[in-house]
Amino acid sequence: MSPAPLSLPPALEPLLTVDGIERMYGDRVGCRDVSFRLWPGEVLGIVGESGSGKSTLLRCLSGIDVPTAGQVRFRLDRELVDIFSIPEPTRRSLMRTAWGIVHQNPRDGLRMDVSAGGNVGERLMDRGDRHYGRIRGSALDWLERVEIAGERIDDRPRQFSGGMQQRLQIARVLVSQPRLVFMDEPTGGLDVSVQAKLLDLLRVLVRDLGIAAVIVTHDLAVARLLTDRLMVMKDGHVVEQGLTDQVLDDPHHAYTQLLASAVLSA
Amino acid sequence: MTPMLRAEHVSKAFVLHNQDAAVLPVLADVGFTVHAGEAVVLAGPSGTGKSTLLRILYGNYRPSTGHVHVSHDGRMVDIVTADPRQVLEVRRRTLGYVSQFLRVIPRVSTLDIVRDPMLGRGVADGVATRRARDMLARLNLPERLWTLPPATFSGGEQQRVNIARSFVDTTPILLLDEPTASLDAANRDVVVELVADARARGAAVVGIFHDEAVRDRIATRRLDLTTFKAAA
Repeated sequence: MSPAPLSLPPALEPLLTVDGIERMYGDRVGCRDVSFRLWPGEVLGIVGESGSGKSTLLRCLSGIDVPTAGQVRFRLDRELVDIFSIPEPTRRSLMRTAWGIVHQNPRDGLRMDVSAGGNVGERLMDRGDRHYGRIRGSALDWLERVEIAGERIDDRPRQFSGGMQQRLQIARVLVSQPRLVFMDEPTGGLDVSVQAKLLDLLRVLVRDLGIAAVIVTHDLAVARLLTDRLMVMKDGHVVEQGLTDQVLDDPHHAYTQLLASAVLSA
Repeated sequence: MTPMLRAEHVSKAFVLHNQDAAVLPVLADVGFTVHAGEAVVLAGPSGTGKSTLLRILYGNYRPSTGHVHVSHDGRMVDIVTADPRQVLEVRRRTLGYVSQFLRVIPRVSTLDIVRDPMLGRGVADGVATRRARDMLARLNLPERLWTLPPATFSGGEQQRVNIARSFVDTTPILLLDEPTASLDAANRDVVVELVADARARGAAVVGIFHDEAVRDRIATRRLDLTTFKAAA
């Protein structure tokens, strides 16, 4: 008996399709020939050392930077739309509502002169919510979910520690219930104890909300904990990709083998 | 008898690119079928590739050749060629892997670790909690530890948390890599009972057991890997 082909649930279509993405800086390759599909609820990790092109790729995927070739299409109302061929204001609005970006440096994602509550509530107003009480209630709820005391709601982010600023940024991104979140080194620059707290928070939020995510990290332990699937980048190219545990435990490419064997186990 | 897992022509050689591309052949042309209710124990001295084979069956290692078909939702899925999200779906509901090591997640309590796979399969919160508590009690883990993350537990305690998580809601196929190593006799007996219970419910089991006595109590069949050993 030969095995029957696996039929997938028909409603499940990719949320993001990426084909032949290339970003050149003059003659220098930022990233090149990157293609993949991302399904709802799936978490994709991009790993590689500094200069491997992972952050460049993330900037192209998230609409911050325009690729020199290739297509990024996002599912909007049952239709895949090319995010670089839609009008700029539509793309901007998409970036604020349907997806979210968590920057490595919280200062890039927060408004430092606006209160914590304002930072979170602003996203709801972007989405068209105008009811002050409800916005403040939501903001309070989200501060609690990222473990920031409600009494800090009127404080400015600059009065927060680095870890708190990062958690506030995550609340600001997730409050609008995006379907897709991009994260660039979300735990970079934080103390190990704060990292653990943030990682667990991200893991639970991503699982409970069923959002898809693309996470750039150089930390393989972070990748193992948070991601389903991994792409390994070197010199702007994807050298290996697959199930996260498979890539880390049975790496096939010379570079991935080097990367996986260089990890210190605590 | 219902076939649950079938390995065909599975070979594995590791290529170490950073050691002059040294090739380590481990398995050659392994083939066998496991039916519902069977417990196949992998035998052979260490270095014959027992753990490697088990990891290939789980989709954790990629074989150099061959296929692993597992029965999932009434059809056979090839774990070797399935795409990552299919593999994850098969693992979530059909294919369980139990080692002696618990992968500790920072800050997550013991009870939540045990409840987690059930919640992922849609078991109601209250039911998941009750079953998790029953299983931890059955494995003699003191109740005062249940609300704590197991990071600071002893090796044996962490192992019992891992067993509880793996056996509280068993998958139709169970891959066991030395789950009883370093357990005391009483808890080893519990694991032997849990495997027997799973088989009685129709689970297919493939396992590695160092302990001769445990092996004899669990196995319905032995598969000697030395007969498949790759020529070095």
